[in-house]
Amino acid sequence: MRIVCAPSGIVSYSRPNQGIMDIHQGGFSHLSLDMQHCCSGQELENFRAKEEELKGERRQEEQLEAWQREKRISVLEDSSKIGRRFQKLASVGKENGITFPIARAPYLLRDTKRVDLEEVLLELHKACIRYCASVGGESIVIRPLFSGVEYGKEWEANRKYYLQLAPVAAESQVTVLLENQCQNRNGHMIRGMCSDAGLAAQWIDYLNKEAREQLAAEGREIHGDCFGFCMDVGVCNLCGQDMHEFAVTLDSRLKAVVLRDSDGQQEGAMLPFTCVSQGQPKTDWLSLIRGLRQIHFDGDLILEIQDTVECFSPLLRPMLMSLAKQVGEYFRWQIEIERALKKYSSIVLFGAGNMCRNFLKCYGEQYPPLFTCDNNEERWGTIFCGLEVKPPKALLSLPPDCGIFICNIYYREIEKQLREMGIESVEFFNDEYMPSFHFDRVKGV
Amino acid sequence: MIEIGIQTKNIVKDEEPRQGFFQMAQAGFTCGDFSLNAYLTNLSLYRQEKNDFFDQSEEELERFFTPHREGAREAGIRIHQMHMPYPCYVPNGSMELNDYLWHVVAPKSMKICAFFQCRYMVIHGFKLARNLGSEEKEWAETERFLQSLAPMAKELGITMCIENIYTQSGGHIVEGPCCNGRKAAERIDRMNDQYGAEVLGFCFDTGHGNLVGLDVEAFLSQLGHRLKVLHIHDNDGVGDLHQLPFTFTKTRENRASTDWDGFIRGLRRIGFDKVLSFETAPVLTAFPEKMKGETLKFIGKLGTWMAEEIACR
Repeated sequence: MRIVCAPSGIVSYSRPNQGIMDIHQGGFSHLSLDMQHCCSGQELENFRAKEEELKGERRQEEQLEAWQREKRISVLEDSSKIGRRFQKLASVGKENGITFPIARAPYLLRDTKRVDLEEVLLELHKACIRYCASVGGESIVIRPLFSGVEYGKEWEANRKYYLQLAPVAAESQVTVLLENQCQNRNGHMIRGMCSDAGLAAQWIDYLNKEAREQLAAEGREIHGDCFGFCMDVGVCNLCGQDMHEFAVTLDSRLKAVVLRDSDGQQEGAMLPFTCVSQGQPKTDWLSLIRGLRQIHFDGDLILEIQDTVECFSPLLRPMLMSLAKQVGEYFRWQIEIERALKKYSSIVLFGAGNMCRNFLKCYGEQYPPLFTCDNNEERWGTIFCGLEVKPPKALLSLPPDCGIFICNIYYREIEKQLREMGIESVEFFNDEYMPSFHFDRVKGV
Repeated sequence: MIEIGIQTKNIVKDEEPRQGFFQMAQAGFTCGDFSLNAYLTNLSLYRQEKNDFFDQSEEELERFFTPHREGAREAGIRIHQMHMPYPCYVPNGSMELNDYLWHVVAPKSMKICAFFQCRYMVIHGFKLARNLGSEEKEWAETERFLQSLAPMAKELGITMCIENIYTQSGGHIVEGPCCNGRKAAERIDRMNDQYGAEVLGFCFDTGHGNLVGLDVEAFLSQLGHRLKVLHIHDNDGVGDLHQLPFTFTKTRENRASTDWDGFIRGLRRIGFDKVLSFETAPVLTAFPEKMKGETLKFIGKLGTWMAEEIACR
């Protein structure tokens, strides 16, 4: 699983040095390529419309001139210019050992008025796929068509569109990822294209099947699937969706996840765990982590935190980027929580309370601990949830390939204690995002 | 022909039920959604408190509700649907309380439903995904509960209706049980096939759908004929306010932020021909008491308008 940073709000494309430095020093080595930068939603909205509008009003000659100057560099007129927009970013990134494994293609505004841009988008998206491949990208998020698509004809319109992209994707060895969308209903965000995970899964399966057939008929070489899915957590949150269900339904089709926090009412891109109310998160991270863990998610985790970044002083950004990376790593650790357990031939727990009980409920059968430890000497020699509770000194006689998992929130304090005892194989366990929970808590332990 | 209904809470009072039913009739309603849940409220259940209302024998309960039934009959109000007290299972509740809800409240509610000659009983699914780990496991428990009532439902000619409900994280509402239309349709069909009768159907709640941004038209299309009952009300997309349809706007254009067009198109698409039932009890306490009659009439007019729109082909 790769932890990827979305550069929006952090990196200036015209002067990328400092932003890349902050990202790199924060510990990231992967950036997503936001191709909105070469053609924003607003630029698409104005395409060949603003010129006409301005021409009609002679008083605005200056504006028209400015518009034409801007237009001269529009990638919509000449898609070969895409590379020029990202030249500095790609070069500074390369110098810092940053890779661009995933890109996001330009897209229309959610409340776009344009229903006539399908052909323009198609050419632009083909060029974006090629550019993505040229910088070593493996996948690109291309949102489904929605504007001007008749109700009930969504599949037909998108099938035709995506299949036109398939030959370019196959040739470039780039996977096109569809993404769940919301729609603006008079100011209220409701579910849009591909927000029904069951339907989205069907779309991807059909697209892959048809693309394979199409490419085989043309005698082209096929490298894996042309299509996959990117789950935008921010959209799921806006639409109040059960993210466990969402992830599990998409299963192996899920190749990327956009991690962003928000209040669930308005679009937002905040650092996960920062949008909270009364000590509870506004985003249901429990469902998300459970879902990604269940499907053994191994794709790209993209941290999109533009809003948080822009509210932090540039002076604080290096620290923020470091925290963001740690948050990404935390997600990875939670999703792959069993990976640490599999490292050892045997395990022992430290802690004889609710976390120990939760471990045993969810993982005790598959990874049975030899015993558990506790610093409370009154508990030594007792049995807790079927495990013998031993004093910490019992850890000294363990074989070297036995892992000690701290099941107590005083992680660092206990880790220090164990390290001072000369114990090396110390791991943390955490029960905040367990696959299931007991209905009660044991008191007085 | 589509009829118009409203929940009885805040209209029908136990001291003089007849009066409330006449008030409903005068406002243009022909159907009632009997608020049985008002006799054992969710607030008390979540506090793990129960009263002794359902401790009464079936005969005592029938005696208690006879004035209600007669009052409705005299006023020309048909009890089309009823709401079972909820939650039917209190997560982290005592075993005693949950046994009582399952083995006493639920079957007695079904008997009361039959006593009113009411065809549809709305039942909330269990909210257990957090504890059990998935919606599938949560549904398995709800289904166990429904299966225990299904033989009685068949015998009494009642269709139990599962409803799209929600849960929350940090005050942000997210989908809870029965928010997947495709799954709901499959589950309803499976259970009805098993019993050879319509023991299970669906109650679509517009407000809950709005809170979790459902694509209403698609959802209703997935349900089709399985949709038996409606809870019509509106909110701001943030809280479950149970207000009048078309109340909430979010932009300067001041157009309704709830997808009422999709709701009407969806009902039209599936040929809905039952009752447009409003679950708008809070509206009646929000408006001044003296305006209650007029407020009720206005809700009735909204229903009539919707019925006309649905009938337009």
